[in-house]
Amino acid sequence: MDVSIQTFKTSGERALLDPRTSIFAIVVIGVVMVGGSLTGIEYVLRVISCMIPAALLYAVKKYKVATIYFLIMLFIMIIEGTAVQSTVGALNLLFVILSGVVSRFIPQFMMGYCFMCYTKVSEFVVSMERMHVPSVITIPLSVMFRFFPTIAEENRCVIEAMKMRRTGTKKPSLLQKMEYELVPVMMQTVRISDELSQAAMTKGMGLNRKRSHICKVGFRAIDYLMLILLGTILVLFIIY
Amino acid sequence: MIDINEVSYTYHVTDAEGNDVYRNVLKDFSLKINKGELVVLTGGSGCGKTTIIRLINGLIPNYFDGELKGEVTVAGMIVNKQPVYETAAKVGTVFQNPKNQFFNVDTTSELAFAAENRGTEPEEIIKRIDKVCDRMDLLDLMDRSMFNLSGGEKQRIACASIAVTDPDVVVLDEPTSNLDDKGINDLREILKRWKRQGKTIVIAEHRLYFLKELADKVYVLDDGKVAKELSGKEFDSLSLEETALLKIRAVDDSFKKKFGDEELSALLKTKGAIDVKDLDFKYSDGVHGIKISDMALPKNSLIAIVGNNGRGKSTFARCLCGLNKKAKGKVDFEGKEISINKMTDRCFMVMQDVNHQLFTESVKDEIMLSIDSKDEETCEKKAKEAMEVLDISSLSELHPMSLSGGQKQRVAIACAIASDKDIIILDEPTSGLDYYHMIEVAEVLKKLVKLGKTVVVITHDTELIDECAQCVVKLKKYLI
Repeated sequence: MDVSIQTFKTSGERALLDPRTSIFAIVVIGVVMVGGSLTGIEYVLRVISCMIPAALLYAVKKYKVATIYFLIMLFIMIIEGTAVQSTVGALNLLFVILSGVVSRFIPQFMMGYCFMCYTKVSEFVVSMERMHVPSVITIPLSVMFRFFPTIAEENRCVIEAMKMRRTGTKKPSLLQKMEYELVPVMMQTVRISDELSQAAMTKGMGLNRKRSHICKVGFRAIDYLMLILLGTILVLFIIY
Repeated sequence: MIDINEVSYTYHVTDAEGNDVYRNVLKDFSLKINKGELVVLTGGSGCGKTTIIRLINGLIPNYFDGELKGEVTVAGMIVNKQPVYETAAKVGTVFQNPKNQFFNVDTTSELAFAAENRGTEPEEIIKRIDKVCDRMDLLDLMDRSMFNLSGGEKQRIACASIAVTDPDVVVLDEPTSNLDDKGINDLREILKRWKRQGKTIVIAEHRLYFLKELADKVYVLDDGKVAKELSGKEFDSLSLEETALLKIRAVDDSFKKKFGDEELSALLKTKGAIDVKDLDFKYSDGVHGIKISDMALPKNSLIAIVGNNGRGKSTFARCLCGLNKKAKGKVDFEGKEISINKMTDRCFMVMQDVNHQLFTESVKDEIMLSIDSKDEETCEKKAKEAMEVLDISSLSELHPMSLSGGQKQRVAIACAIASDKDIIILDEPTSGLDYYHMIEVAEVLKKLVKLGKTVVVITHDTELIDECAQCVVKLKKYLI
């Protein structure tokens, strides 16, 4: 009698959002945050947009980052809603610049960070294929995707090594320190990418070859909800 | 199965000044490997063993820039005349550095990656992963992020990802150089299984003891030629003297010298002690960590710290250097009690990957950086002394990143000497080193003790310990 037993099951764990939804979210948040004005409906749209990454961070259990981000954005939004409106002259300029630097650039960056947190490299590659992006673009992008956590890890090691070299009398300036730390990180990055491409080649990765994939990528209810939300924001933003 | 026929190869590389350099590695080299054989290629750094691995998996001439003459045939395919992905169907490769060979961040995707590239049906891939997972006992490694795996676990995943596509030929390029004892044992078991399945296996490796009773043929290479050919039986019976004569690492991994508690306590008596007390450190996961209530290390001696758990040893080293800010504990040192977090002033660590700790534009600047003095003249003098001790005076104007691995390590050690710190810790200084360079490291370590330093070596290299250690501390009982 033949008995077959399956011990391994794919966990079926999937990214919170489909990669295509995430990319759309980055674009919409970027457009609204960079281009939106500080009054009327555009202000409301900005508040909603900048809170999307916070909600997503909560959903993937990054509580600490989510809370910090939420509080900062809340503070900035309140300033933009009150202080910026009620002041004039130099003080007004100061508030506008201070809040603008954060609110116009950080939210889309955080959305990108969310995207990196919950999306697997393979899911990213598959969804790019679905959008018919040629592999000449997909492959370097997916390597980049893989690279952010690697650079973070290398950076930690280098900073530690620097700590050991600190002497009591000599204090390198901030600029000098940055230079010192940047060199080894960059050298490591070059080496790692070199080894990585060798490994990928010996595993049969090549341009213009049809790949199969075991991960599941596709729109689910949460994607449709998100797309409707983002679509509404974008439409309202364009109309007004 | 594999036929390398009169192959010559010259690398085109660019040197530190940007000039083209031609480096000939192989000349009219021939090698035949039969189906089902496990062949070991060994020899000093630069002997050409890695080049042979690259010839078999097709990275030469497809990835590396150089001049190739001759023909390489693997399983009936002329490898040097087809793209790498064609070769990849028949040849699997395991690389030296476990952390740099994964395209994916999670393990399950990585196992599927090679099969996905070949366009295999998803159900079939999952079935195969299931089978491999069962056979290689990988259940606890599935669906994990590769950043949370140890070196040994990563190398197991690397082997498993090859097993999923089940190629006839497997080549391994120094697979053990970043592994601890347990990782090496696991690898040995995998090699055993592959051999039973009739796979043809080629390993380029310095470390040899784990291949005992596994190898069918061993080639000792020197300067791109076979210097000595050994059968499996001859290889198994090589004594320590014979391997030293051949300038290869030992096959026999037992200690020559005895390292017991008597030696340790004798040293503690004559030299005085550095007492580590109440050391307590937990990782953020709350499970892993170390706890040491009392540990005496003899001063001005060469202490080897061994232990099976790789994480425990390196964690201890980092704690002792004061790099783990969350660690609690104190150190009794020359009658003073120092908090463990302040040990950064007393300790210098030479890291396993020395690339992380070289920052400046020349070797001299590098060493001057760690000297605790504002006076230019004193700095110059100290740097000169340190360079002389380590025989690197001739390199003083070169960029540290243009040096070889061994030279970089020497520069880091020179920084340690110049910094005037009392304790020098080295984390796996001989991983991936050939016999000649291992002996060189041992000599340098002995010099450090002569200079009055306390040298702590985290290692599992029995040959290095035999060669230079004065006492051995096993860390096993200290771990929680």
